Amino acid sequence: MNNAREVVVAGIGTTKWGYYPDKASYELAADAIITALKDAEMGWNEIGAAFCGSVYQGTGSGHQGIMDVGLTGIPIVNVENACSSGASAFRLAYQMVAAGLYDVAIAVGFEKMPRGPIPSTAFRPWQLQMGFNVQPANYAMETLLYMEEYGATEEDLALVSVKNRKNGALNPNARFQKPVTVEEVMNSRLIADPLRLYHCCPLADGANAFILCVPEKLRVKSKAVTVACSVLTSGVYGEMGYQHGSTGSFKFPPKESIVELSARQAYELAGYGPADMDVVQAYDSMAPGELWDIEELGFCPKGDAPRLLREGVFNLDGQIPVNTDGGLISRGHPLGATGGGQIYEVVMQLRGHAGARQVKEAKIGLAHAMGAGPNSAITILKK
Amino acid sequence: MSGEKVKVPVMEGMFSFIDGKASLSGSNCKSCNEIFFPKKEKNFCSHCQNENLQDINLSSEGEIITYTVVRQAPAGGFYKGPVPFAYGVVKLPEGVYVETLFTGIEFDQLKTGLKMRLVIDKLFDEDDSTEIITYKFAPVV
Repeated sequence: MNNAREVVVAGIGTTKWGYYPDKASYELAADAIITALKDAEMGWNEIGAAFCGSVYQGTGSGHQGIMDVGLTGIPIVNVENACSSGASAFRLAYQMVAAGLYDVAIAVGFEKMPRGPIPSTAFRPWQLQMGFNVQPANYAMETLLYMEEYGATEEDLALVSVKNRKNGALNPNARFQKPVTVEEVMNSRLIADPLRLYHCCPLADGANAFILCVPEKLRVKSKAVTVACSVLTSGVYGEMGYQHGSTGSFKFPPKESIVELSARQAYELAGYGPADMDVVQAYDSMAPGELWDIEELGFCPKGDAPRLLREGVFNLDGQIPVNTDGGLISRGHPLGATGGGQIYEVVMQLRGHAGARQVKEAKIGLAHAMGAGPNSAITILKK
Repeated sequence: MSGEKVKVPVMEGMFSFIDGKASLSGSNCKSCNEIFFPKKEKNFCSHCQNENLQDINLSSEGEIITYTVVRQAPAGGFYKGPVPFAYGVVKLPEGVYVETLFTGIEFDQLKTGLKMRLVIDKLFDEDDSTEIITYKFAPVV
């Protein structure tokens, strides 16, 4: 973007993610918005536009949440981009402020996950009837390819869950705050070979909100974190994507995967590279996904992530802390809020407010949301 | 003809029978040579954006690229076949991937590289008089 203004995150808010049969998604959204306003020390009347990410909440879902905060005639746009909805809403809010359309905007993510079978429309009807819409199964097929190409073992996959559940135990807002052992992961119920229950992120209900503004509008300068870039790529021809029913093209595979493309764009825009990142939120909807995500984001060569994980490189006290708040595996996965959940932790780390999870002197962080679509959304923040 | 069920394909146009032998139906772009399965409804190549597609019959044998065994019923109630079930992707020699159910093979016998052949088989019973059929891949004997 030419002449883009600097944009900062002025306020953040989250609900504690969990299972809330008695709460509506609009209640969660309103809670997160009010918390973010207090964090920013701003009034609702200062917000110029709202972008609300959710997937299953239906018509005008963002409006329902905002109705309980106050209708002020500002534009409200609902954003559905599967698991990248929250990051996409954040991106829209960021771009609007950067472009000078508003001085202050809010990005909200919220979701109350449907109980029981989730009707998925990321597939064509015949694919649903053939049984191709079980996402752990689609990840399992991708996992087998990864394991056979690089020699990763089932225990390597389990170690991702172990690391993230250990970090999650230090996150008061995570759905699951209890560590798991390798044995517990390997003995958990098979969902789709080779993936087991504890390789998969759990469902959760949750919301978060981010107030973005130009620096002049900041109330609490010490909390401000700058948006270095916000990138979205939504599918490249020929890439395998079983999660949205694509086998990929044998004749014309892409030169760059969707993740590699979004990473290249993000690093170019932000002016930083993988080596500059102090904290990373990689996409761990399924444990093995974190491994190839770390690789495709450029943190290590393809196939190296399992070994580096074993060496502790991605631990809280490692060289490249990944998913310091426990990731999707501990937080849970309320689709519309997940992208924001990743951004929330990066902000907390950069502010120095991550408590027991604090990475020393964290100055630059990256959040990567993926998902059916496909979408790959990368947000880089800096202090 | 009592007891004889009507067989309805899960989607029209996925396969045809030539001299009694089943064949998957695909599209071939005459501009860039890409092959699509299932065949494209619109004459528009999503690879090169030309309008030069032709119907083709695909090979009936391929090799397993990847697979999994699904241990829980898929969400939404669309799938009405047996659980657990195996599915995955086969590569056909002309250069196209096909996502497919696997049949006629024990789960622990599945492996990548295995040669498989096309079969037309029941997907599930729609009701007392109708059977939904689809393409699957089974081991080459």
